[in-house]
Amino acid sequence: MSTLKQFWLKVRVPALSISVALLIGALFLVFTDIEVLGMLLSDPLGALALGFGRAASSYSALFRGAFGDPANFGKALASGDVQLWARALRPIVESVVASVPLIFVGLGVSIAFRTGIFNIGGAGQFTMGAVGGAIAALVFGAGVVPAPIAILLVMIFGLLGGALWAFLPGLLKARVGASEVITTIMLNFIASQLVFFLVSNVEFIQKPPRIQPVSKELSQFVDLPGILPIASLRLDIGIIVALLTAVAVSWFLFRSTRGFELRAAGLNIAAAKYAGMGASTSIITAMLISGAISGLGGALVAVGTVKQLSPGIAGSVGFTAIAIALVGGTRPSGVVATALVFGLLQHGGSLMQVETSIPIEMLLFIQALVIAFIAAPELTLGILKNPFRRRQAKVTK
Amino acid sequence: MQKKGADLSASVASVAIVDGADAHQQLFASRIRAGLFALFTLLSVWITTSSAGVQGNFSFWADKIGGTNVEFSVPVNLLWGAVALLFGLMTLLQFVRGAAFKWRLAIGLISPLLVFALLARLLDGTTANLTVFFTSTLSFAIPVGVGALAGIIAERSGFLNIAVEGKLLFGAMVGSIASSITGVAIAGPIAGALIGAVVSLFLGWLGIRYKVDQIIAGTVINIGAVGITSFAYLRILQPNSQFNRPIGIDTIQIPLLSEIPVLGPILFSLSPYFYGSVGLVLFFTYMIYRTRWGLRLRAAGEQPSAAGTVGIDVVKLRYRAMLIAGLLAGFAGSYISLSGTGGFGMNTSAGKGFIALAAVIFGAWNPIFAFGASLVFGMASAATTLLSGLGVGLPPQILLSIPYIVTLIVVAGLIGRVRAPASAGRPYDQG
Repeated sequence: MSTLKQFWLKVRVPALSISVALLIGALFLVFTDIEVLGMLLSDPLGALALGFGRAASSYSALFRGAFGDPANFGKALASGDVQLWARALRPIVESVVASVPLIFVGLGVSIAFRTGIFNIGGAGQFTMGAVGGAIAALVFGAGVVPAPIAILLVMIFGLLGGALWAFLPGLLKARVGASEVITTIMLNFIASQLVFFLVSNVEFIQKPPRIQPVSKELSQFVDLPGILPIASLRLDIGIIVALLTAVAVSWFLFRSTRGFELRAAGLNIAAAKYAGMGASTSIITAMLISGAISGLGGALVAVGTVKQLSPGIAGSVGFTAIAIALVGGTRPSGVVATALVFGLLQHGGSLMQVETSIPIEMLLFIQALVIAFIAAPELTLGILKNPFRRRQAKVTK
Repeated sequence: MQKKGADLSASVASVAIVDGADAHQQLFASRIRAGLFALFTLLSVWITTSSAGVQGNFSFWADKIGGTNVEFSVPVNLLWGAVALLFGLMTLLQFVRGAAFKWRLAIGLISPLLVFALLARLLDGTTANLTVFFTSTLSFAIPVGVGALAGIIAERSGFLNIAVEGKLLFGAMVGSIASSITGVAIAGPIAGALIGAVVSLFLGWLGIRYKVDQIIAGTVINIGAVGITSFAYLRILQPNSQFNRPIGIDTIQIPLLSEIPVLGPILFSLSPYFYGSVGLVLFFTYMIYRTRWGLRLRAAGEQPSAAGTVGIDVVKLRYRAMLIAGLLAGFAGSYISLSGTGGFGMNTSAGKGFIALAAVIFGAWNPIFAFGASLVFGMASAATTLLSGLGVGLPPQILLSIPYIVTLIVVAGLIGRVRAPASAGRPYDQG
């Protein structure tokens, strides 16, 4: 009973924040509907009914996109046919697939947060990890080395790519105090231009007719094994690696000496220095690990999920990861849980976009609201009693 | 209570570092600079010797835009020879004078020549129109320079303003909508400035009233801006394009002055935004350094507790600074959608708000220097556009990342370190 209560205490603020943000999002949907706005003066009640009706159907599409259509589950249960089961389960499985990159980058951002660094470069590090993974797949895949070793190499190259992209901001932050916010954002832009260059100029990487700026089909080189009994559902070992990474990060942050030093630097860098911990080393280490984890995610997603390298591979993962790290309290368990929720939102959002042509960019607005609610405990105190305040990540300049 | 202790120990630590290490560090930095300059000297000598016989062909419009075309050509090795000479001089001065050498000014003076020399080398014989190059420089520099001014005013008051990008986006979208709906040209910049102010006050409210970490609060604005403007673009502006057909702000011909040959088309027949921006930069430089308001602003950013002790209402002052910063950033944003033809597009600011922050740092929190820095960024971007338009051998992706790489180098402080307002980013407890 008490553990249940503790669990509730932990999740109620994030849960309520997300719910309130979704409610505000619904209002936003209503009041950006041109038809509703046009009717508002002549027939206010009718306009509101129409607007909220549409918002409700949008959110219903969001729900079905996230968890699956209950009707499909009914059919699958009735017949027991594998094809029907696959169709019923696909949305929720895809939601989990969508959460894999979020778990990785969310964990990476969290480690930086704990050390007092604001790593906005998740997207760039993810992209460079994807580059590393793709190159490893192209070089070692297709039978050059045995498949398990090729997969391992993909992961290692991903780690290296991400770490490389995070090393520079870390070094600059530690040595000359350059703001990591600006350096990481610049590196995000440079990373996507670099990928653009690679997939449109390098014959070794670009897809054969060499017209589109995309890489060769990576699954022909390295195929990540799926973990579900139904082959048409594409959930691969990426999710397992993600969960293992979360466990490792948890051990590292809260059980290892180095992790303690990182957290000490994050809480009070002057005190950490005074206690004899190398603050510069902590900053660089944190950035390296943070980038490596995001890069690992990039490699696994590029090779396993997207199966291709393209300039926009990171999407808005960098932004979303910041929201996830804050909502998850920069704790690995919280990050995984929040990433799953955001994965549901993301895949649900794509169905919403298809069915009701509500742009998926709305999710960014909702994420911004969630961050504001989580980061301003006093602001939300009226609605929610906030146990999170004590544990909130301290971010220093 | 705990927080105050932390602040105190932080300031004690920083005092201890400053005394001995600072001079040493400055000397070290100046040696690195000298080394870099020497490297550039060697590089330019190499380019000079390797580009014998290549002509740099330029043209410009002598009387008006699109008017009489005047062409001239300069041997590329002559340009690079001059660059090498100047870099050599800078290396020497840097070595001799150490930390006292005004390297920032030197770079500012040499960069126009450097850009031309680079252009001439890369063009490899193709003709480039300098008037187009110059206007293209300005179209990048105006939003960046005014955005930087917004950043400076907020940060001088002690509020770290990373949300310039978000305010540019809001200003661009709302400016375009207001101009389209009202059909009045001036409505665009005004509406842009107003939405910028609203957003900025919201940011200030989060950071000052609720003491949300200023980077996180800025991120909320930036993410929210991308989300809201993209959403509104796809949902409202794209299907109803009548809301996104703004009255463009045309260039104006200043009577008499615009008739001057060569200089007329370059300096005196530009967008009113340009004259507005220059006026704002000069005005606020005066305000920051020469007025009581400016002194109080800087005091609040450096040592708010001291400012508070002598009776300055720091909170109110920061809110006002945020208001001004928002007006400026929104105004800068409206330029992006109103100067061209297309109106507002998704993510139309393309990182200019972040480049503005780099200009703030490069300009050492001085509006005029920061505007100079944005001109340099503008030149890099204009060179990119020019070269990719001419189909020069370099891949466009590399050219397109030049402004970002330059920003990175600037922020890295490879060429020198600057000091931010001491309390930028720290919330203030008004007791």
